[in-house]
Amino acid sequence: MPTVTDLAALVEPHRVHRRVYTDPAVFALEMARIFGRLWIFLAHESQLRRAGDFVRTRIGLEEVVVTRDASGAIHGLLNRCSHRGAQLVAAESGHAATFVCPYHAWSFRPDGTLATIPHRPSLAEGFDLRDPANGLARVARIASYRGFVFGNLAADGPDLETFLGPMTLAFDNVIDRSPEGEIEQAGGVFRQEYRGNWKLHHENANDVMHACYVHESSVAAAKKDPRDYTTPAYDLHQTHTQLLSNGFTLKEWLATGLWGRAEGHSYMGGFYKSGVLSPERSDPTWLDYRAKLVARHGEDKTRAIIGLDRFNNLVYPNISVNAQYQQIRVVQPLAPDRTRVVAMCFRLKGAPDELFRRSVRFLTNLNSPASMIFGDDMEIFERCQRGFASEGRDWIDLSRGLGRDRTLEDGTLESDGTSELPMRAQYDAWLRLMERE
Amino acid sequence: MSPDRVACERFLFEEARLLDEARFEAWLALFADDGFYWIPSHPEQVDPYGHISILHEDPTVLRLRVARLAHPRAYAAAPLPRTSRIVGNVMVEPPLDASHHVVVRSTQHVAEYRGGDHHLRASLNTHHLRQTDAGWRIVLKRVDLIDAASPPGLLTVPL
Repeated sequence: MPTVTDLAALVEPHRVHRRVYTDPAVFALEMARIFGRLWIFLAHESQLRRAGDFVRTRIGLEEVVVTRDASGAIHGLLNRCSHRGAQLVAAESGHAATFVCPYHAWSFRPDGTLATIPHRPSLAEGFDLRDPANGLARVARIASYRGFVFGNLAADGPDLETFLGPMTLAFDNVIDRSPEGEIEQAGGVFRQEYRGNWKLHHENANDVMHACYVHESSVAAAKKDPRDYTTPAYDLHQTHTQLLSNGFTLKEWLATGLWGRAEGHSYMGGFYKSGVLSPERSDPTWLDYRAKLVARHGEDKTRAIIGLDRFNNLVYPNISVNAQYQQIRVVQPLAPDRTRVVAMCFRLKGAPDELFRRSVRFLTNLNSPASMIFGDDMEIFERCQRGFASEGRDWIDLSRGLGRDRTLEDGTLESDGTSELPMRAQYDAWLRLMERE
Repeated sequence: MSPDRVACERFLFEEARLLDEARFEAWLALFADDGFYWIPSHPEQVDPYGHISILHEDPTVLRLRVARLAHPRAYAAAPLPRTSRIVGNVMVEPPLDASHHVVVRSTQHVAEYRGGDHHLRASLNTHHLRQTDAGWRIVLKRVDLIDAASPPGLLTVPL
């Protein structure tokens, strides 16, 4: 196990040692001290409408089954039979009155308690079905922020809202865009894997400068397209707009802003001002939707909700929220060099169907295995991981913009879009969390 | 008009050849202007708009995809994956409605190789074809991958 001195030697203000991405001992410690102690997104309440609905997901290396019981309470259960240890649930999601282990048919209620065991006469004397040790092991804490359900493997520590801090705004903004103030997860879930470290995802997501280089091929294809998409259709032709949006110029790099927090969270702003992904539209569908929002919130608040100019909102360690298109990505570490990316979108209740179609299309354009955008990012993640294996040089640079960050009143760091500030904020948080015994 | 199985088979084989030879522009020309290329995310999927697909694109979007593949810095597809495919079990259904589309069902195995990685892409395919003065045109090409829920690696070249 790396000691505190070892860890401090891996992170400097302007660079990190390649071992943070490659060393299995560092990875094991990350699972214990980062994924074992922070609030990790599990599911949206709309995925657990009825008692018995469940979703299978992960907190670090733990498989978790998120359930709703008959009283309406939500539970996080470790996906391991309390008898012989077999994985209990294999489906990604579904509905079950009880979870029956395939090995010896021990069955468990959605609240994790042991319901039945076949052939009771042969049970050991004193075996008590009601003993919690015979029920499923559970996630220590479960909490919901306005329908977004999180779990925490640690019994102690800050509550969910404190953990999210100013990042609650990203979740609020998704919900506020619904004319009924309600959203539901819908339209399917993408799950993809890349052969690289989990941290590469968030380091890339708010790295504005990579976009025009990594995505040059798709930007070029869209730019060559002669058609005019000033008001793109809500579904199909949004692809063109999305490809184009990575074509940052120097002027746009400087016009975007980046904000980072010592907790590791960050967000990107100024992205929607370039006109490519304009927040407002003028077609009848949009005007109808907008009128509904005004009826609920009034004109000023509606303008603020629609105009909130934050593209990727990164919650450390592993969520990316895009409020304008109602989607989230969740990054799940599998091994030092293997990561799963789970992505889903939300329907705004009361909004025209076209807006949901737009979310589905946006999600697909970015998260499908056939994505013309994220495919190139994943290729770069894998190239980074292969490069980190080199012993010729140990350090990975993240110094761009260092010394030019401004500190705002609430402690948030601010810079223009050329800075590597979000990565430095992530490593500030990383080191602090990793050093805590 | 009764569909001719041999003619339909020949169309699929020629399409397969175009894809294996990476002649994507010529492949694109096989689509009707109102055509779609669809890789659903599950075999029962009927709605390509309210539910995610792996890919659901018309020729205007496919044109972007093909243009990107030709770009020297399309990193996920550089070098371009090499493919070799077998199309078999071809069955032709007569037109069922006024659209006069011929429905051609087939089974496809695509061996794909790129940068040391081999993938086998197995699917049940459905083509909806329309007879035009210029020959058959694809109104719908639906590729139901057996591993649509989690296909390994990236799907960069058309299947």
